[in-house]
Amino acid sequence: MNSAQIEIQLIVSLVAIACAIPGTFLVLRKMALISDAISHSILPGVVVGFFITSDLNSPLLILMAALSGVITVVLVEFIQKTKLVKEDTAIGLVFPTLFSIGVILISKYANDIHLDVDAVLVGDLTLVAFDRISINGLDLGPKSLWVIGTILVITVGLLLAFFKELKVSTFDPGLATALGFSPVVLHYGLMSVASITTVGAFDAVGAILVVALMIAPAAIAYLLTDDLKKMLLLSVFFGVISAVLGYWLSHWLNTSISGSITTVLGLVFLLVYLFAPKKGLISVLYRNRQQKIEVSLLTFLLHLNNHTEERERHINHLNEHINWQKVKSKSVVDLALRNNMITIEANIISLTEKGKSFTDKAIDYIITNDDSEIESMKEDFFLFRG
Amino acid sequence: MEQKKLAVTVDDLTVAYNYKPVLWDIDLAIPEGVMMAIVGPNGAGKSTLIKAILGIIDPIAGSVAIYGKPYKKQRKLVGYVPQKGSVDWDFPTTALDVVMMGTYGSLGWIKRPGKKEKKIALEALEKVGMLSFKDRQISQLSGGQQQRVFLARALAQDAAIYFMDEPFQGVDATTEIAIINILKELRKAGKTVIVVHHDLQTVPEYFDWVTFLNVKKIATGPVKEIFNDDNLTKTYGINYKVSVQQ
Repeated sequence: MNSAQIEIQLIVSLVAIACAIPGTFLVLRKMALISDAISHSILPGVVVGFFITSDLNSPLLILMAALSGVITVVLVEFIQKTKLVKEDTAIGLVFPTLFSIGVILISKYANDIHLDVDAVLVGDLTLVAFDRISINGLDLGPKSLWVIGTILVITVGLLLAFFKELKVSTFDPGLATALGFSPVVLHYGLMSVASITTVGAFDAVGAILVVALMIAPAAIAYLLTDDLKKMLLLSVFFGVISAVLGYWLSHWLNTSISGSITTVLGLVFLLVYLFAPKKGLISVLYRNRQQKIEVSLLTFLLHLNNHTEERERHINHLNEHINWQKVKSKSVVDLALRNNMITIEANIISLTEKGKSFTDKAIDYIITNDDSEIESMKEDFFLFRG
Repeated sequence: MEQKKLAVTVDDLTVAYNYKPVLWDIDLAIPEGVMMAIVGPNGAGKSTLIKAILGIIDPIAGSVAIYGKPYKKQRKLVGYVPQKGSVDWDFPTTALDVVMMGTYGSLGWIKRPGKKEKKIALEALEKVGMLSFKDRQISQLSGGQQQRVFLARALAQDAAIYFMDEPFQGVDATTEIAIINILKELRKAGKTVIVVHHDLQTVPEYFDWVTFLNVKKIATGPVKEIFNDDNLTKTYGINYKVSVQQ
């Protein structure tokens, strides 16, 4: 690896972390689309900032862009509040309008500067290593590294300071208001961070990748954990891993870095979506199937528990009587036998002691949803795993 | 009637959604230590009244005082149980963590909860009989258990006045009894409890004070004096004969 390669990987990793943090809260607030809107509508802010300063490196550009990001959110909410259009429609109305204002401004007044729309949308990571900061001839590294590094430090600082406030206002805005943590202030704080991160990241990675880095890692993490802190850490982890893997994929395929990173994010999401241990599709389907069999098992055991007469316990009767078209009765009987819950003598099925206590516990659990009784059953039966 | 301190006073409160008043000129004086039901038909503004008192909704007119001062200065005196359906129970967090949120108000901005807050939350969970569920992800709780977690969170607020928005909605009889016992304990401890309530049959049994609401205030006072057919009919607009069963 040469130093430019290391620098690029460092930049995308920092961008990934800076995006994953606000992204996690956007996903939990069901506002993923807003990041898409922000990433586009910051363009007029950048252009206006450039008109004011005539300097593409001015921090004012970032502030103006962040401002237009916040304006996007305000406009979306304003339109939505009139109840004349729904939220997704409002988003779809606002950001293309703002973005196109930026496009028109550029093509009309700024054609001769280095600010083209393609670069805004997909960015160009290969170039970021050449745009460097130096003081008195001392090379301090790429500008992007400093910009995104600063934004990241601020974001992490805000997260550590306001984690509790963000959590409660995301989970229960009503309670947050009652406790005195203004959800409005936190909402716009989060939107400002998302906007600033987007601006800081987009000239390195482009607007589309910013959206991917905000939403995909958080969506991946959401499938893997039930804990907000872990979700934040996991989304940072998956963001960074995908960024680095994507970088090497692009190197190998000799193609766009942003495109490769986004593709890797999509693939990682697909893998987790399919194979996540608890919430993954395959696990859910498997669990549903097992639970169906286990519910039938319980129905079957309960029936045995309720009836002492032989007629009711004959193997053929059970096949006919309990409605089991969907689950083969054989698999249920086998499962019960395997677990020593029943004995079969001359086609008459009887409950063993183990089977009886299992039935009692299970029914008790279903009524109370109280864990203490069934800890031992959790290992063997999906039905009792939370 | 003996002279008591007023826990909550509401003056000329009017709330409107899109210029349509949902609460019109409400005056209330709730004495300290009562257990009050707010009853009224759907759309009567019962939840809105609580939310307006707690500053969650801005009224277009009127004022609210908690022990004589604006709510914003008295937040720490007030506990709140929102409607269960108002939050996303798939949120990645545990029962204990939700109850801890009740302590955030006394912590204020930035300061993080520590051992003391955790202890308060665990005690609150124990009071509602949910201690063994403390590490459960909240989506893995039954509806009644979720309601108890909300109640525990309000207990963790350690308030003087509790506002509860339909705490009995969708809970089974066991949970309802458990909740009402906790509310009665709160009242015994001198707290004021204000509950949006739907089941008119249980009003005389559970509460000693009642407010009839239907956009306007119909009546407010002790259950024994004003919980009668006349007020029920005025509030619900049809002939009610609940009081016969008392």
